[in-house]
Amino acid sequence: MLLDGFLQQCRQQPGGVALAENARQLSYAELLSRAQAVAAALQAHGVQPGQPVAIHLDRGVDAVIAVFGALLAGACYVPLDLKNPSSRLVFIVSDAQVKAVLGLGDVPIWLDAELWLNIADSPRIQPKPVATSLTGLAAILYTSGSTGRPRGVALSHAAIAAFAGWAAGLLALTPQDRIASSAPLFFDLSTFDLYAVLGAGASLHFLPAKLALAPARLSAWLGEQAISGWYTVPSLLAFLAYKGNLAQTPLESLRFLIFAGEVFPTSALIDLADVLPNTALYNFFGPTETNVCCYWLVRREQLQADQNIPIGQPAAGCELHIDAESGELWVRGSTVASGYWRKGRLASLLNEQGWYATGDRVSIDRGEYRFHGRLGRMLKCSGYRVEPAEIEAVVNAIDGVRECAVLGVDDPTAGQRPALFMVLEPEMELTEIRKVLSRQLPPYMQPSRYQVTAALHRLPNGKLDYQQLKELLEI
Amino acid sequence: MKEKLKAFIFSELIYHEDPAAFGDGDDLLEAGLDSMGIMRLIMFAEKEFGVTLPDTEIEPDNVQSLNALENWIKQAPQNL
Repeated sequence: MLLDGFLQQCRQQPGGVALAENARQLSYAELLSRAQAVAAALQAHGVQPGQPVAIHLDRGVDAVIAVFGALLAGACYVPLDLKNPSSRLVFIVSDAQVKAVLGLGDVPIWLDAELWLNIADSPRIQPKPVATSLTGLAAILYTSGSTGRPRGVALSHAAIAAFAGWAAGLLALTPQDRIASSAPLFFDLSTFDLYAVLGAGASLHFLPAKLALAPARLSAWLGEQAISGWYTVPSLLAFLAYKGNLAQTPLESLRFLIFAGEVFPTSALIDLADVLPNTALYNFFGPTETNVCCYWLVRREQLQADQNIPIGQPAAGCELHIDAESGELWVRGSTVASGYWRKGRLASLLNEQGWYATGDRVSIDRGEYRFHGRLGRMLKCSGYRVEPAEIEAVVNAIDGVRECAVLGVDDPTAGQRPALFMVLEPEMELTEIRKVLSRQLPPYMQPSRYQVTAALHRLPNGKLDYQQLKELLEI
Repeated sequence: MKEKLKAFIFSELIYHEDPAAFGDGDDLLEAGLDSMGIMRLIMFAEKEFGVTLPDTEIEPDNVQSLNALENWIKQAPQNL
């Protein structure tokens, strides 16, 4: 199963450092023993193999203990974004049909207390051994759904292990590596940290949260901790290149940086490549449904400020296909998710031909794939997937809203941000709408523009005329 | 200067129910200013006010509130 690599490292080097968070360190043996205690507590709670368990913890040592505990019990984990409004968390916990919620301290007020398990209360006992099949689910990662509700992408042990094994080989990870970790568990980037890094016997060093706001101290931390690799998002690396004092901070141990989740503006990437001449830079690409399906090792001489970088070649043995009619990227292979998780059941995400159609428009040029944007309506806001339908569903549920439409506005740093068009009943005030949305949607889904209009223009087939709305935005 | 900063922050960087009610000493980080927002804010301030904000001074304390931002930017070296 997914933890086989980690378990092998526990036998080979039990005293090696697995996790470090500020002054706190956990060896491989300690992490295993803590995770086993959580697994035993889940079993005592009645959790059966294959059942989902939510993780109500921010990234860090405790979250890894909880995730590994869930996996050792044969459960699949559902990481929660604690910044989400409680209404969204309530939906996810209910939609996933979790049998327990792992956390620390008191029960969150929105949660049924019977589901809550405080991991600090887990007695140090061994769990009963469970058989985990490779096709069994390991994780359900909720993203924004085009149906108007958050949607769980269900990943099997085999799918995550296929990615992690491939990545560990590509980066040639060894127990000597010291890898920085900043990705929240609900982003698929975290699977690299948890399974590629800890499966290779390297140590994982959690980036202190506030350092993302102080780029010079961030680069100093990377140097002091002798970090050898880091998988993160372009925006943070761009900040580092712009104001990270890198000219005065040699990062001699830093072998590689990987970025994913949004397009890296090439001019910022050129700056980064210039100040880190000896660090290998990798662009990873792929929606959560495929984890990573494409990658490109940055070739510095090929970078041109006015041209987007390629997404490169197939990753992790994925097969790629470009649909001739739409230019859409289709993927199949071992890293592809098992399906969408809906009310405790899997729904297929493959098309009739057996491929996952990504919704990404791509082209291929001399063996290298290039990304040209989205075909559908999905937006990418600060690295988060945002389906306009999810915002529209919340707005439409407000009394006094006749109809609404959400579309993306390009934003130089956030990628895109949602703009909201509405037709309101006469007595309805815009401030009321804003209030409801600030309660019911996470910060990255908040519209950056609101426009009240008399009517939304429709095409002859009755569909909303998004092109006309887009033109309105450009005025 | 504070007015310009405030207008930029609330139109471009963070969403707030009622920017007019946001005080000069109120916490911008709590209101949602993140690392990307800080980066854009610095780009804006350097251009708008003709200063260079040194890398090592980019700290949560200096961007915590409109007052803190103004104090910080006012003592920054002016570009020639």
